[in-house]
Amino acid sequence: MAAIPKEKPSRIDQARAEFARYKADVKARGKPFYPYAMWHDTVMSFVVVCTIIGLAVIWKWSAWGPDHDPTHKGLLGPEVDPPADPGTTSFVPRPDWYFYFLFYLLRIFKWPESVFLGTVGVPTIALILLIGLPFLDRRLVRRPSARPVAMVAAVLTIVSMGVLTWKGATAKEALASEVKQSIPKWKADEHLPPAAFPGVELFASAGCTACHTYDGAGGSQLGAPDLTAIGSRNLGLQFQINHLKCPSCVNPGSPMPPFASLGDDRLKQLAIFLEASKGTH
Amino acid sequence: MATTYRRKPTKAEIRRQKMEELVMFPIDWLEERSGLIGGLKYFLFRNVPSDINWMQTLGSAALTAFLVQAITGVILAMYYVPSADINPRTGKPIAWESIVNITDHLTLGWLVRGMHRWGASVFIILMFLHMGRVFLFGAYKYPRELNWIIGVLILVNGMMEGFTGYLLPWDQTAYWATVVGINLNGTAPFLGPWLAQFLRGGQEISGETLTRFYSLHMLLIPGLIIGLITLHLYLVVRLGVTSPPWSKEAAGGEPEEEDGARLRPGLTRPVPRPSGASAMQAEPGGQE
Repeated sequence: MAAIPKEKPSRIDQARAEFARYKADVKARGKPFYPYAMWHDTVMSFVVVCTIIGLAVIWKWSAWGPDHDPTHKGLLGPEVDPPADPGTTSFVPRPDWYFYFLFYLLRIFKWPESVFLGTVGVPTIALILLIGLPFLDRRLVRRPSARPVAMVAAVLTIVSMGVLTWKGATAKEALASEVKQSIPKWKADEHLPPAAFPGVELFASAGCTACHTYDGAGGSQLGAPDLTAIGSRNLGLQFQINHLKCPSCVNPGSPMPPFASLGDDRLKQLAIFLEASKGTH
Repeated sequence: MATTYRRKPTKAEIRRQKMEELVMFPIDWLEERSGLIGGLKYFLFRNVPSDINWMQTLGSAALTAFLVQAITGVILAMYYVPSADINPRTGKPIAWESIVNITDHLTLGWLVRGMHRWGASVFIILMFLHMGRVFLFGAYKYPRELNWIIGVLILVNGMMEGFTGYLLPWDQTAYWATVVGINLNGTAPFLGPWLAQFLRGGQEISGETLTRFYSLHMLLIPGLIIGLITLHLYLVVRLGVTSPPWSKEAAGGEPEEEDGARLRPGLTRPVPRPSGASAMQAEPGGQE
């Protein structure tokens, strides 16, 4: 094989040469880190600390509600919510804002076929792409104008993350009080027998509709399935009770929290209601 | 450092010389035994490109936010009690009560907790902005690929800090968000159920989950982050910061048609293009 022509050096040789030029340039015409760059860093750090203190002040002094109630919502949210209570399940799960995009992603994928894509698939692929970026984009050029693909990909990523975060932040939550107003409609639409009446009350108040939809009400969260016609699958009372007690035991990988704390009696009422829900005719 | 005097030194001069020796002694002592003073001098007086701009302060700003988290976190750990047990006198969980106590009764406790709470968001935002800057500058390219990866790991660990810290007030939001968060971890293949079980410390979220998250939040993950930041900074100092790529006088310049040597502004002689790997061997980083 002929010798490699000298005038076309390999990419890594070019990169090394460029870095050697960079080192020489910095040495010859750079300026010392102290005081020039350090001054900029100090000013910026000062702004950061002031911003953090400012947020803390606004948060505290707008949340300090009447009667010094720590759960009073101020401009930036309450100091603290009511104490954790595994017994009440009517609380809508809400993560910190930087996980909103992940939470909203789960609304797009429906249980059970594709929810795995939302919980693990897309985030894992995104993380691998992020870590692998320097190996995917190996051209030496750094000017944004010469990297159209990278710039378009970055803008698309920022826009989609922004939209998901925004949608997650403004997602409508099904409040128990509103859901309860739909109970008469459900009874009529589904022709529920009187035996299912205690269960339907429980269903509306125990927070099921925070994730599940039922006859047009409720919020579709975390890929939770619609329960309008769950009874038509004839899964059986015992299955429903077991599933409510420990969803992931019956249905491996289910993100639904266990509801064992409701107690056997109420779980049975719920199961009767679910089995009686044969869909709207 | 023998100083020769033409005349006999005055008393003031002798005193001054003794003072200098007194000040220099511990510095010289440390330098002789560790080389740390030389390292610090190199860190402070190393050259950076003359055209760096304000966007390049975002990394140090994120570091500042992390330091705020570390300091306020240490103070909070002095007063916070990671117990889900119910206080029999009040009927409230002890962890929740200690958070209310810090926020409402402890002198300046609200400031420390508020800074920790909002500093977390600021830290995450600054890490994302810093990453955007590095992306815009193409600064993840050779030879800084490894530092990009370390940066992504710091970001992931920072978000894990957010996830574990969110549970600690032991209020309804925290509890139910964590229930769902752990269940989501559980949907991952192979390791998922095991990871969910490990995080919960059982089948359900309980006091054991709380102490587990507390330990991860204040020992394991911060330790990882501190280690990763140290590596990150070492590589920044070793490899140098990039010039804005659109700058007219960008250090290193754009790769262009090579003719072996180029005359660059500010340099009186052409910079010879080193051949291949010898360019790196000549640059061990560190000391000039």
